Amino acid sequence: MSSVAAQIPRAISGPKHRAPVWWMILPALVLLVGFLILPYVSIVIMSFREASTRAVYGEGFTIAHYRDIVTDPFIWGIVWRTIRMALIVTVATLLLGYPVAYHLARTRSRMSSLLYICVISPLLVGLVVRTFAWMIILSNNGIANGALTGLGLVDRPVQLLNTQLGVTIALIHVFLPFVILPLLGNLQAINPEVALASRSLGASRMRTFFKVTLPLSMPGIQAGSILVFVLSISAYVTPAMLGGTQGRTMAVLVVQYLVDNFRWPAGAALAIFMALTTLAIVVVYLALTARAMRRLP
Amino acid sequence: MNMGRTLWDYAFLGIVTLIYIFLMSPILLVVLMSLSGGEFLAFPPQGISLRWFGELFSNARFLSAALHSVQLAAVSAVVNGVIGTLAAIYVVRFAPQKLANGLRLLMSAPLLVPEILTAIALLFFFFEFGVGNDYPIAIQTGHIVVTFPYVFLNVASALFNFDRSQEEAARSLGAGNWMTFRRVTLPAIKPGVITGCLFAFVISFDIFNISLLLKPVGMTTLPLELFDYLRFNFDPTAAAVATLSIVVTFVAVLIVDLTVGLRSLRF
Repeated sequence: MSSVAAQIPRAISGPKHRAPVWWMILPALVLLVGFLILPYVSIVIMSFREASTRAVYGEGFTIAHYRDIVTDPFIWGIVWRTIRMALIVTVATLLLGYPVAYHLARTRSRMSSLLYICVISPLLVGLVVRTFAWMIILSNNGIANGALTGLGLVDRPVQLLNTQLGVTIALIHVFLPFVILPLLGNLQAINPEVALASRSLGASRMRTFFKVTLPLSMPGIQAGSILVFVLSISAYVTPAMLGGTQGRTMAVLVVQYLVDNFRWPAGAALAIFMALTTLAIVVVYLALTARAMRRLP
Repeated sequence: MNMGRTLWDYAFLGIVTLIYIFLMSPILLVVLMSLSGGEFLAFPPQGISLRWFGELFSNARFLSAALHSVQLAAVSAVVNGVIGTLAAIYVVRFAPQKLANGLRLLMSAPLLVPEILTAIALLFFFFEFGVGNDYPIAIQTGHIVVTFPYVFLNVASALFNFDRSQEEAARSLGAGNWMTFRRVTLPAIKPGVITGCLFAFVISFDIFNISLLLKPVGMTTLPLELFDYLRFNFDPTAAAVATLSIVVTFVAVLIVDLTVGLRSLRF
């Protein structure tokens, strides 16, 4: 008995508890600072290096690559195309994702686990595989054209591969789960009695949805749309496989600079330019939506 | 107030069903195509056969690529299983209040930045240090970095939901730090660790951009090999390769669903 009693003060003050524990975070810090933060600094440095014909970069430093980018109408064309495509994908995934998240948050169906698998599996199946599926669907004798000609909507197959339209459709599918999951978390956190209260006070379903549920789900909409927008702008695999030259995006151009042309400094500058453009749009979007969200609890 | 099912409900259900079908059908289509008896990727497939899987398993390039993918994914899962779990315990349990939020952000950072930028960053970084593209160390490090948050976030959320007084009880009964960790904390967060590691495995098995820019000469992964194959070929062998990758994913999802439940998953 006495030995247990003797241990009680020790347990409460917990001397072992205060043993140094910072070593636990050390490997993760080394990994993320050493192999994520520092490498990002190296993109910035690379973007200011001089080009060279003999090595991947020259001796000195220059801002020429940034000047070349902002004065090149060809690059601006690709920038606008990428942004426009990302905006369309973002709006479309929101419109398609919201009903699914709403349904999944409310359903008491026994199938809900299966439906949840429907939402997350596309996320876990590789991008190359999902894009390949869209190659099968969109090819000239694929399902999409089969349906269009079968319904008599078109006489001969429409070109869908190697077009912006094809890339946009595939990206909508590829990124749809990224808008559903944040929305689902958000909608599940909303107390269903809030909507019931609105209904019992005489508001119609429509009014309840637009005045109660939708405003309360703004944080989920915001998170999901930013995620999809950033992913769409920086998407490489889908535009590279489906886009051809017509559907070429910024990320495809960056990889072309780096891998095909060995223009590392110029490619680095283009990558930084892509990141800054994305960041600027996200900041503007956050400022605009912040006003709409200010009234939320 | 009519709470019964209205026309609206049925219309809504109809639309939602179509979207679920839209989500799943491309993946099912790939599996269907891999079983095609015909020579082409045309729909509907002509007959059923397993011969494209025969093609796949007699293709040395695909097999070696699959082996590399499994190796990369296994190492990523194991390494992150250790360092991600340790980091999550530190951040949730021990980190000073002032640091916790910053650390949490840093630990999720690989998910918050585009994978293609991380790949480019690592390409330059390893080149500066002379490692270049010669050793698998660059590609493996890239895979570990990108999949790190999956373990960290899943373990952190398991720790959040775990009643701390159980640890206190163990300590007051005389258990030391290590004993408390091994007998109380670890069993409680095991579902989070399993989920995190399996998803790190699946994501590593699938990622493309990191592998594209960081692979050593002569090494490929399954997604890279499929991408390359599709540049010059368009036949059911590709569908068989894709199906193999889908099967790997679904086995992992199934294990998670059966052991800890899918809804515990954190992205």
